[in-house]
Amino acid sequence: MEIRSNNIINNRGANISTVFISLLIVVPLFALFLSVFKVDLDNFYYLWDNLLIDYSLNTIYLVLLTSFFSLIFGIFPAWFISTSRFKGRKLYDILLYLPLAIPTYIMAFTYSDLLSYTGPIQSFTRKYVPEISNILNQDYLQIEVLAIIMGLALYPYIYTACRISFSLVGSNYINLCRNLGMSQMKTFFRIVLPISRVAIFSGLFLVIMEVLNEYGAVRYFGVNTFTSGIFRSWNSMQDVDTASLLAVSLFIIVVIFFFLERFTSSKYQFNYSVNTNQESNFSLTRSRLIIVHLICLTPIIFGFLIPILFIINNVIGEFSGINFNKLIDLIFNTLSVSIASALIIIIVGVLFQFFRKISKSRIVIFFSDIISLTYALPGAVIGLSLIILVTSFPNLINSNVFIGSFFLLVYAYSIRHMAVGISPLKSSFEKHPSTYDDTGTNLGLTPFKLFKKIHLPINKSAIIIAFLLCFIDIMKELPITLILRPFNFDTLAVQTYQYAIEEMIPKSAVYSLAIVMIGSILLIFLKNIINKQIDVSKG
Amino acid sequence: MELKFNTMKKYLSLLAILILTGCSQNESSKEINIYSQRHYDVDELQYQKFEEKTGIKVNVIKANADELIQRMKNEGENSPADLFITVDVGKLWQASDMGLLQKFEDESITKNISPELLDKNGYWVPVTYRSRVVVYSNDRVKKEDLSTYEDLANKKWRGRLLVRSSSNSYNQALMSSIVANLGSENTTEWSKGVVANFARNPKGNDRDQVKAIAAGQGDIAIVNSYYIGLLLASEKEEELKAGNAVSVFFPNQGENERGAHVNVSGIAIAKNSPNKENAIELIRYLTSDEAQKTYVGNTFEFSVNPNIKPDKIVQAWGEFKKDPLDLNMLGEKRAEAIRIFDKTGWK
Repeated sequence: MEIRSNNIINNRGANISTVFISLLIVVPLFALFLSVFKVDLDNFYYLWDNLLIDYSLNTIYLVLLTSFFSLIFGIFPAWFISTSRFKGRKLYDILLYLPLAIPTYIMAFTYSDLLSYTGPIQSFTRKYVPEISNILNQDYLQIEVLAIIMGLALYPYIYTACRISFSLVGSNYINLCRNLGMSQMKTFFRIVLPISRVAIFSGLFLVIMEVLNEYGAVRYFGVNTFTSGIFRSWNSMQDVDTASLLAVSLFIIVVIFFFLERFTSSKYQFNYSVNTNQESNFSLTRSRLIIVHLICLTPIIFGFLIPILFIINNVIGEFSGINFNKLIDLIFNTLSVSIASALIIIIVGVLFQFFRKISKSRIVIFFSDIISLTYALPGAVIGLSLIILVTSFPNLINSNVFIGSFFLLVYAYSIRHMAVGISPLKSSFEKHPSTYDDTGTNLGLTPFKLFKKIHLPINKSAIIIAFLLCFIDIMKELPITLILRPFNFDTLAVQTYQYAIEEMIPKSAVYSLAIVMIGSILLIFLKNIINKQIDVSKG
Repeated sequence: MELKFNTMKKYLSLLAILILTGCSQNESSKEINIYSQRHYDVDELQYQKFEEKTGIKVNVIKANADELIQRMKNEGENSPADLFITVDVGKLWQASDMGLLQKFEDESITKNISPELLDKNGYWVPVTYRSRVVVYSNDRVKKEDLSTYEDLANKKWRGRLLVRSSSNSYNQALMSSIVANLGSENTTEWSKGVVANFARNPKGNDRDQVKAIAAGQGDIAIVNSYYIGLLLASEKEEELKAGNAVSVFFPNQGENERGAHVNVSGIAIAKNSPNKENAIELIRYLTSDEAQKTYVGNTFEFSVNPNIKPDKIVQAWGEFKKDPLDLNMLGEKRAEAIRIFDKTGWK
């Protein structure tokens, strides 16, 4: 009886804490809602009549295309690396994560420069193979090219999710398929893909939200998306209220899609079975092997090697002009905000997943999902909403203390990037059977002990993965920093972007190289953790 | 309960650390706070020199003009901003229209500046100016074929004109100037013609338009003058070639024509500026001969001081007549300009 009552009290505590913290995270939306009530509908109708339908169609097209490419770049290499043994497999496995270290806008600027008329490829062909130079001389600033570029920048989200899922599917299933005489492809499409659906979707959801909140690359390519509509009303029409209305609509659309997906996939509930020690290796014929190499190399070459070589080449060209003091300063700034925000995200994320475990309350589940969805909003809008919020109550809050403070900046980062941390935490916490909790409770563990003794250790690698993913994502963050930063505060991402938009890409190179280097080191670290986790579950 | 207490404690201490590290701002009056849309290297150089000269510490936040405006507006009386700097006079007008700026008069500053570039209402001071010009392919276009902005709507340019998106504020300023000069209806007609002449959908930045001319995707482009300067000063052989494949043309230079559209990068004192004296000191410095020479030597912009010659590359384009339109019109007519863009399908 004692245990029971103890649990109930803490469940209530968990519920209240969840709601409270969730509110802190979705609070910017309230500020947007406040503006929505002041909205002048004329502007909204105007946008609707002239632009929004076009913008929405573009958005859908870009989301579909980018999803397609990131799925292709993510799923197939993950499948072969998880189930086949071949030379180079381990190296590919590291390299396939690395494009995540390259911010989307850097990828976009890099490719537009590489492919441009004055870029190296066309210059080379004009000089040495003039016959094909005319064929190459195209307008590359097209929505389809943008989708491929974004696919290259974002597929690692899907790769990560698939890599874990495919390895955990259980060699039992795969071996069974083989005994039934199914080919590797058939096994993949018939069995593994449906089983991994939830994992793939969690990765894909991050990709889609990234496409939705993207503005820099999208604008450069002349593609107007829904987010362009938000900035059209804010920047061009000077109508912050309509911008808020559009942002809130975007958020609601994402919420609806999220729960629709949740609803339809609920019938696919699947628990990973325990793996046997048996390895599930499909043997590869020579021609198959070539295809596998191609599939793995394509995203690596185009998503990482080419951009990094381009950046390094620019750094070498600009080497004499590099201000190393400034560089070190910016690295320090970038690291400190990224670490602080990633820590907060992890604390909140872990806490929420734990609450979800011990309290089966629908409220907890709802709120712990909702806090991920703010990721679909452009960073500048989150920044703006926080400014509106802290200045809305001049008698209560001294906005001076907050605006331009490190605190508000970190708070904004945490709100915005919550989804990136929640995603791996959620899959890890969900994987472990709830019998652990029941056993723990029966043994008389208090929730805190249960957390410390069981959940923390068994989810350790997911926690580290989540931390690193958040860290890398925050390091690349741009718009929030611009609008909320303190005086004289620059980060690597901001400096990169400011040179890039002023059309001085070579000058930006050293700062983007720093981002990519730090990101790559962390990703290699991350990859080791993921593989350890996979090995542990295999063993 | 143990759980709750522990996490609460963790949160609170974290919060305390964050607030303490973030809010220890120096309150000395020997400083000045700038909200700036400009983020060129030359600006940092200017602030550095100013600090050395006066001992006044310069603090800067760089972001988009609209974000800075929102920040200032919401901060209200508490705003730490002393100065607001933009690269588009339209945003200065916007800020003054929203009551975020204060008037100031200082003849020792304005006497060095071309009178037609000054704010008739006294809210802002120009620091540099640039013209939005037409560049044309040396191979495929004769200089005589070009004349005015109005002529860009002429059918002879069908499929030959390149320009970036209407979300770009330089384009918005140009359209505003045309609205102010020709009226809304004529401008709509003009914009329709221009859109019909597009070689491709608007995209990329100004430099990309020039590259597209070099690539043969179009013959003429609307760009800011200093980008050509940057291309011509480039160390990359191919960029230099692209820059040399085109020439700069200042439109509307005929006898009865109004002159080329210009826009200023300007500076204004925030309404609630806590360090107004220092702010004026910086404005004085940025408009001084010394600072003006630094600007023209680094960014290929034009000096607001008529006595200071532009960079050699820029001088080669020759002198030109500026549109004498009250520059505040570039902000006042902005809303109309945006609707014309949207109505006529200029993406």
